[in-house]
Amino acid sequence: MLLRNLKLYKVKSGLAPVVQICRLSSSIPLEDFPVGTVSEKQVKPERKSIVPSNCRYVYPEFLPDPKMQWRNPLREKLERMDMIQRRKHIDIPEFYVGTIMAVTSSNQHAPNKATRFVGICIQRLGCGLRANFTLRNVIKHIGTEMKYQLYDPTIQKIEVLRLEKRLDDELLYLRDAPNEYSTFDENMEAEYLPEGSPIPVNTTMVKLKPRPWRARWERKNMKGLADLELPERFYKRAEELATPWEKYDLMKQYRRTIPEEEQKEIFAEVYSELHEVNVMRKKQKRKKVFIKPFKN
Amino acid sequence: MSIICKYTIFYLSKPLNITTSSEAMLNQVRSVHNVRPPRMKYPLWYLQRERAKDDQQLTEDNRAFVKEAVHDKFGMPAVIHGISTYDVRSALREKSVEYENVEWSPKFQRTGLIARKLGNYPMWLNNGKSVLTTLLHVIDNHVIKYIPPGEFDPPRKPYSCPNHKKNLGCLLVGAESADPQYFTKQYCGLFYKEGMMPKKHLGRFLISPEAALQPGTPLMASHFNPGDFIDVRGKTIDRGFQGVMKRHGFHGMPATHGVTKSHRRGGNVGHGGEKGRIFPGTKMPGHMGNRYRIHKGAEILRINHKFNIIWIKGVASPGETNSIVYLYDTLLPLRKYKSSPPFPTSKVVEDDQLIDSYSEKMYKFTNQTITYEEEK
Repeated sequence: MLLRNLKLYKVKSGLAPVVQICRLSSSIPLEDFPVGTVSEKQVKPERKSIVPSNCRYVYPEFLPDPKMQWRNPLREKLERMDMIQRRKHIDIPEFYVGTIMAVTSSNQHAPNKATRFVGICIQRLGCGLRANFTLRNVIKHIGTEMKYQLYDPTIQKIEVLRLEKRLDDELLYLRDAPNEYSTFDENMEAEYLPEGSPIPVNTTMVKLKPRPWRARWERKNMKGLADLELPERFYKRAEELATPWEKYDLMKQYRRTIPEEEQKEIFAEVYSELHEVNVMRKKQKRKKVFIKPFKN
Repeated sequence: MSIICKYTIFYLSKPLNITTSSEAMLNQVRSVHNVRPPRMKYPLWYLQRERAKDDQQLTEDNRAFVKEAVHDKFGMPAVIHGISTYDVRSALREKSVEYENVEWSPKFQRTGLIARKLGNYPMWLNNGKSVLTTLLHVIDNHVIKYIPPGEFDPPRKPYSCPNHKKNLGCLLVGAESADPQYFTKQYCGLFYKEGMMPKKHLGRFLISPEAALQPGTPLMASHFNPGDFIDVRGKTIDRGFQGVMKRHGFHGMPATHGVTKSHRRGGNVGHGGEKGRIFPGTKMPGHMGNRYRIHKGAEILRINHKFNIIWIKGVASPGETNSIVYLYDTLLPLRKYKSSPPFPTSKVVEDDQLIDSYSEKMYKFTNQTITYEEEK
């Protein structure tokens, strides 16, 4: 069922899974931001900002926790400096919930002192150095999840195997879905997406197993769930408890997010260095000679 | 009768030499003895600080003139070590403190620092373990005044030990320079005497006379070294009147099984018979927080000399984010200094290269990824 869905999706989006090294963290076409002129542009404030508008989606962890009581501009700045230092040693690519990823991390107890875990990203949480993400896969018929700290120095490599989004911001319902929805081949090869193309959205509708579930999914207003096949009373209760007016609560929205002006300030401070790191990495990658793998 | 008695005791006892009745009456007085009456004596820096806000009705020009006068006297506003403050000209006077170049001994007590708690974030050790750290920002600290042991009379002394801490002097330390217009004249006078600008926060540290410092000496984060242990004193978060579950961590009572209206109650507080009363000190609901507490023996993991920031291990320091805390050398016997710390304090070194210094076991973000070697 799932496989068929995936195949359909591939045909629809017209993407042939080409074997290639994984995508870089910047999704910005290079023509728009020539390397040499970065510093010149920064000096003159009248010019248009060089920071692309999608930064808050690509680097969400650079935005601080919006909770007012915990904020301090100096700490946030130091945290950002540490994050950039770490990013110089590891390529943290652009990824979203629903992206299929592989993480190689140092492990003292593993035979080669390193483990590689492939899975679908089902959750992305935290700001600053606390940022983390959860990968899920089914290994030997057992659903397995690994939570990684994004800036953990024991992480050796983060690869994006298939860059895509799902319909929801959290895919925790995959825990209550049949295993085939979260089964991914460990030897899966990275799929290439041309630079600058929009992030594809996987519209797979997940069919859950019958209740009991880990949460009352009918109340969560999930878009990626197929018909739940529940008795009428469940939906009635969900309707009673729904809070549809909250999307009009501007103050709540304001308190939950970082204002746009502040976001611009933060990314203006961080972007030039991030971009420099990306360009350096690209140059290094080009230098590496591609050797065609051969069969024994 | 009582009136007559009173009269005899207080007014006639001496001239009339009446002893018997007065003694009998005095024995009747019931009070807890051995309790010192409260003394209304405050230290010299206990002054009204904030001025009542009044609109001075000054013109723009006059306002500018006042500002200029302040800048002329103390220095121009500047951002130093990440805080907006004033570029105060050094007010160091020569030989105002007798002790100089004394060798450190473990008996000596150094001064502490005033810092602001910035919040927490995780860092990693070299073995790959993550630790949560608290950031403490040493905010523009200057020595304001030194009071030698003979002159310093602490306002509160233990009743049983009148010689308590008599051999210690007192060092007043101020943090964060501010415009004198916002403070009272008497509070400003405290600083003017030493040629300093008024400070927003004042702290008192008891020190051995050998560790005395001149007024005007800047205190930096390099007063401590990475790997040292400090005590952090601050005011805990004010949580108001709280129940027993939050205040003392009681378990409460079951949610079901016939329990009604007492899910969060403490339960029994006393016994029967002779003990049929509530013992003093019984844990009960009440006001929680907003009192000074000390986080003892916190390890320093990293110090940023550019912004004067200290990272300590753990998240147990009292107070909210952005609250003021006081840092001391730890009193825990096994974590005290074994070799000499910067004594009496660190010297000001203008070294742009040295930004961060780390404890040995800390992972630096500028380092390579942590990998484990295979055992042979």
